[in-house]
Amino acid sequence: MINPAKTPATIIARAALFAGSLVAATSLGTVAHAQLNEIRMMEAGGASGESIEEGYLKPFTEKTGIKVVRESPWSLGKLRGMVETGVITNAIVELDSLAVEQAKALNLLEPLDWQAIDPMPIFDEARQEKAIGYQYYSTLMAWRADAKPVSSWAEFWDVENFPGKRALPNYPTYTLPIALLADGVKPEDLYPLDLDRAFESLEKIKGHVSVWWDAGAQPPQLLKDNEVQYAVAWSGRVAGQEGIGYTFKNALLDLAFFTVPRGASAEQKAAAFKIMHEMTVPENQAAAAKVISYTGNSPDLEPLLPQDRLDEFPTTQANKQVQILPEPKWWFENADLVEERWQEFKLGL
Amino acid sequence: MPLLLAMLLAFNLPILLMLGRSVSGLEFSLEHYQRLVEAPVYLRVLANTFKIAAISTLACMVLGYPLAYWMRGLRPGWQLVAVSLVVLPFWVSILVRTYAWIVVLGNDGVVNRTLMGLGLIVDPLPFLYAELGVVIGTTNILLPFLVLPLFAAMLKIDGRLLDAAASLGAPPRTIFLRVFFPLTIPSFGAGAVLVFILTLGFFVTPAILGGGRVPMIANMLETLINRMPRWELAAAISTVLLVVTLLFFALYRRLTEASEGTLR
Repeated sequence: MINPAKTPATIIARAALFAGSLVAATSLGTVAHAQLNEIRMMEAGGASGESIEEGYLKPFTEKTGIKVVRESPWSLGKLRGMVETGVITNAIVELDSLAVEQAKALNLLEPLDWQAIDPMPIFDEARQEKAIGYQYYSTLMAWRADAKPVSSWAEFWDVENFPGKRALPNYPTYTLPIALLADGVKPEDLYPLDLDRAFESLEKIKGHVSVWWDAGAQPPQLLKDNEVQYAVAWSGRVAGQEGIGYTFKNALLDLAFFTVPRGASAEQKAAAFKIMHEMTVPENQAAAAKVISYTGNSPDLEPLLPQDRLDEFPTTQANKQVQILPEPKWWFENADLVEERWQEFKLGL
Repeated sequence: MPLLLAMLLAFNLPILLMLGRSVSGLEFSLEHYQRLVEAPVYLRVLANTFKIAAISTLACMVLGYPLAYWMRGLRPGWQLVAVSLVVLPFWVSILVRTYAWIVVLGNDGVVNRTLMGLGLIVDPLPFLYAELGVVIGTTNILLPFLVLPLFAAMLKIDGRLLDAAASLGAPPRTIFLRVFFPLTIPSFGAGAVLVFILTLGFFVTPAILGGGRVPMIANMLETLINRMPRWELAAAISTVLLVVTLLFFALYRRLTEASEGTLR
């Protein structure tokens, strides 16, 4: 029998823990002093980050005098690092719907005080115990204006009648549902996902996929460079772009969230909740939507959006009902299996 | 002693932490290593990474040696120009240089448009978004790491040795093969190992020029750490990578010692 207390691993782990707590103890002192006139936010960056600045942080800073420093991109790893060392540098952290589930399971999040947030009316799915959905975005089909437009995932898969190279996300959370839709599965029957059928469907198209993209900026660039003729893209990156066609039909609608890391101080939490309040104000959301064509969580937003560009926004009456919402719980429960099969699938290339 | 301790902490604490995590849990366990072996995908990505690193290293060796040799033959003024041309790209970010390859080698890029304009090809050649693209990008970025030390070593070779060989009647070919080349092997090998090890950890270039189709270990670790997050498995993979790299380093030491031994 191995005595757990005497193994090298435990000794190293204990030494590490000791070193870690030393670091935490010394830096905590400095953080506690310097935070009231400034907090840090972790978010996705790019145009999305600028829309947060324009829509929500400007009114927040005007009201409270607290400056917000944005840091990007967010990652579950950074959040976990913060919580495990006990040094909460970022009072408010963006996560996608799957990462919210993962963070909840690892106990990385503070419960939100909805009374302190005091929200204006928002969609149901945006209001959770430990997360507030702040921005809807879509994963949709897009194409070069000089290629034959597609109107369904089955057509997107049909390389004979719609010839050209494809670009698909390097994220199984998007490609697997799309592959099933292309294979004829009805949106309401998607979950639980039939993994075998999804990968079989992907096998059919992978010879025509030039790029499995990682960054949202890639698909519009690949389309413009004529590297691919069809791409799966995030709506805000292609909507309103010259030379690119797109449709919200059967697109995957999703919601990005903001959360508060477990262990945040009372002042940090108070500031984070005030920012979250700004995220429920329709006028602020309209200002954010001017920067990037993603939309906020308010059901009353539509009349405030630029009416000539209504078709670019994922949550308008017309667009929201033709899209499909994900089931983050399923993804969370199957994350490891999916990731391994995904890597195996790509290795077979 | 205190300084040694400080060095150990400053340089190796993160590595110790990682080693600890790879076998941690509630008690000592090898389950993460077991996972690594049971799900063959991780080992295959490791193997693929070593393959790409080997190809890139070979490409750097094939291009780098003649280049350094040619630079050695230049007059001192021109040598300065040549060295600055090799060093110049160091001041440009890796990201920028990687994207530059898209402009050059893409379907609508300079090379393909020229070839199509000349009527040599009908469809654009797929340079990018596969292993070839990764190897081109990596070789471009890492070539100076091989050329500079090699060039420095070549300059240090005593010209009188070569003259002596010539005066004893050796033809140029023999002088090169039996005198000059053996003297450059240690630095040539050192440069190659340096390139090889740097390629193992390459992230940006494979991510962009590989088009997600060339799985490399650094990109997989990023997924495991930031997206999953499965730090214990990532630590186990990193440990395997570290051990294999150290083995390669030991092998290289044996080789260079052997080559130095033959000279004495």
